[in-house]
Amino acid sequence: MTPKAIELKNISLQRNESIIFENISLDINKSYIANIFGRNGCGKTSLLKIIVGLTEATSGSVTINHVNANDIAYIGHKFGIKDNLTVCENLKYSNVTDNVEMETRIEDALNMYEMTHYKNILVKQLSHGQQKKVSLMKTLMNNYSIWVIDEPYSALDKKTIDIFNKTMYEFLSTDGTVIITNHSEINDNYNKVVNYKL
Amino acid sequence: MIKIVNIMSKELLLASRSGYETFMPIVYLILIMTFFNVAISYVSNDIIVELVPLMIWVSCLLICILNLETVFKDDFDDGSLELFIIHSGVIEFEILAKIFAHWVLSNLPVVIIAPLIALGLGVTANTSLILFLSLLVGTPSMSLIGAIAAALTVSLRKNKILISLMVLPLYLPILIFATSAVSNSYFNLNYETELLMLVILLLIFILIAPLACNKALRISLD
Repeated sequence: MTPKAIELKNISLQRNESIIFENISLDINKSYIANIFGRNGCGKTSLLKIIVGLTEATSGSVTINHVNANDIAYIGHKFGIKDNLTVCENLKYSNVTDNVEMETRIEDALNMYEMTHYKNILVKQLSHGQQKKVSLMKTLMNNYSIWVIDEPYSALDKKTIDIFNKTMYEFLSTDGTVIITNHSEINDNYNKVVNYKL
Repeated sequence: MIKIVNIMSKELLLASRSGYETFMPIVYLILIMTFFNVAISYVSNDIIVELVPLMIWVSCLLICILNLETVFKDDFDDGSLELFIIHSGVIEFEILAKIFAHWVLSNLPVVIIAPLIALGLGVTANTSLILFLSLLVGTPSMSLIGAIAAALTVSLRKNKILISLMVLPLYLPILIFATSAVSNSYFNLNYETELLMLVILLLIFILIAPLACNKALRISLD
């Protein structure tokens, strides 16, 4: 039986009298991708924020097994990168642990996303899609156990989507867990995606 | 520890890239003191020398307020604040590091320049030294108080006026003790009690501000 990475029990969220969602219960297994999908405003982002601890649920509980906060990579609607820093500097400062292999990891991430030529360019000079690439590269910087990414495929071209999918499946093979949001269901060939409609 | 060093070096690097903005507090202080001297040039020199340190303190207080919103605002706008909250171990230490970095960049230049301006305007070396010491222990308290207000209002689009209204009453005790210390030194009276009070206030805010900021930031991000 695959161990559970995250367990959500009866999560409800209410904002100013209006109920965003009610009694959401789901178990997310290790080495799987949880795709939370639904219409605009159904609370996908809020649910991700509850999982990472940025938002407090009105009721219910979130259990993240054997993982501390530093092991979670989170990319929200805002990319969390600094306009006035170069790509390389942004990656360097995203390192949350004392990692001696950081330089190698940065080089690997730059190669993976074909951004080596841009490594000394200020982020503000990059396109929106390239900025998103930088934020995705940050997931490769540390030995995260869980990736939580809000709409990872938006603003990306086909090639970058393929690169991201490749890194994601490699991550799953190392016992990683991925939670993403999307507007629709995802069907993959490896039966690694579990779709949850919100 | 490495995260605190990271925060400091990142803030310094960002400040170095922001160009002239880093020097604006010093420019403001020089401008205010120049206009102040022009405005009261008809007053006798003794009175000017007595007023200069106090005027410098009031100027520093107002300059501190000018850039308070930037403590967390940029991080909130670009999403770094969310990661900061998620990935912080003992977040209070990291918030403290962030406030310290902000103080070093925004207030420390003023703290260093202000006594030199005072000396240049004829204030004695002893009073200038007390002015320096009072700014050195007074301005960090102001940054700490300001950080709480900045954290509470970080999600508001135009929070500058609100921050000013929130912090000004809280700055009054600092201003009273600091100007009192400087005045006492001018009149060769005991100023140690006032400086000690400023140190006590600083210690209190070092304890309170990171806790309050943590709570306020979480409320703002929710």
